[in-house]
Amino acid sequence: MTDVPRPAVLRTPLRVPLRLRLLTALPFVLAAAAYLLLSALWSDRLPGRLATHFSPGGEADGFTGRGAFAAVGTGLLLALGAGWTVFVRRNALWGAWLTAGFAGTLLCLVVHDNLDAADPAAVTSPLSHLAVAAAAGAVLALAGHALSRLVPPEEHDAGDAEPEPDAPRLDLGAGEVAGWSRATASAPLTVLGLLFLAAGAVAALLGPWPLLLVALAVGVPGLALARVRVNVDRHGLTVRSTLTPRPRVHVPLADIAAADTRDVDALREFGGWGYRVRAHRSGVVLRSGEALVVRRGNGREFAVTVPDARTAAALLNTLVARRGRL
Amino acid sequence: MLFRVDPASAVPLGDQIAGCVRGALADGTAAPGERLPAARELADSLGVNVHTVLRGYQRLREEGLIELRRGRGALIVPGAAAPDRARLVTRLREAAAEARELGLTEEEFLDLARTSMG
Repeated sequence: MTDVPRPAVLRTPLRVPLRLRLLTALPFVLAAAAYLLLSALWSDRLPGRLATHFSPGGEADGFTGRGAFAAVGTGLLLALGAGWTVFVRRNALWGAWLTAGFAGTLLCLVVHDNLDAADPAAVTSPLSHLAVAAAAGAVLALAGHALSRLVPPEEHDAGDAEPEPDAPRLDLGAGEVAGWSRATASAPLTVLGLLFLAAGAVAALLGPWPLLLVALAVGVPGLALARVRVNVDRHGLTVRSTLTPRPRVHVPLADIAAADTRDVDALREFGGWGYRVRAHRSGVVLRSGEALVVRRGNGREFAVTVPDARTAAALLNTLVARRGRL
Repeated sequence: MLFRVDPASAVPLGDQIAGCVRGALADGTAAPGERLPAARELADSLGVNVHTVLRGYQRLREEGLIELRRGRGALIVPGAAAPDRARLVTRLREAAAEARELGLTEEEFLDLARTSMG
């Protein structure tokens, strides 16, 4: 394997159906429309300056002009909507509806709090409004999840793409069946996981109990990912914790275009250790160094740091090529 | 560690699996103390019966190359001697096959081995 950095893999942009983008933008447009409509309907009953920020006790401690708040609220909804529309995936559509439902409801409730107020400083907004907004968001999230059925599933097929001729290959006989398996461990994740669990135990004894939950929520997945087994076989690439068969990360053979090895930098490329998701790549990153990198049908990369990755990449390329011939 | 089996070969599948482990140990792609994949998992990977894999693992255990522990799976024996032992077992198996080809009985082959040791 050469140490020269290879050119970035082909970046086929994931084709997001227009229908999915429209369904993503829709809740934000609806929320902005409802917000502007209510602000207009209630305009005679609202003071010129609205109480728009509240202390945890519910007393107003921040104020904005009526027109300015209408503009800021609408702008906020549209900006959130634009962000979601650009980055949406089919299985995340519910998140867009949740966001729109929560933000839109909260804005409308704040305007409602100001109805018939003589003095904005006397306006109060109970914390329960957050719960109401969350409930509205949850209802819309369900609606969004149901609507995602209107969108066809994303194309996850590498088709008959063949790895480049210079990609590593394995000399496998026509009748031969092969599998590759390797366990690998991460020192940073083990240390971090243990530290969090120890801190959680201390927190449980000395501090407020919710800290224990935080420590468990970070420490347990950290330790579970500290030792993983990587399998390459006729099903594709599978990475799972050595402690439990599920959850696992699986890239089906049909979704793999090519495989290669590369030295990855955990912090620079993935921003840390563990299961990492980035714009064009995801990975199970246990350390910096040798990694098996597969290019998926949609152009994204999946990387897993594992020793002897070259053998794994060679087997994957051979299996991919064999799939193409069948 | 790479496992490759050929269902069409005359060599039993379990022996082929054992051979893969010996080979990996000898060429350094598997290290002493390393854990082998669970038998069920490997069977699923290769599309063979789980008992076939267990037969292979059992053979490796008889050769003193792995330890089988209930609930903890198969572990390559720790210690620097394991790769050399794997190479020795491989050569012994080759010698045994050659002896069979020459028409030697098991007793004659063992006598020969004993003589070589002396």
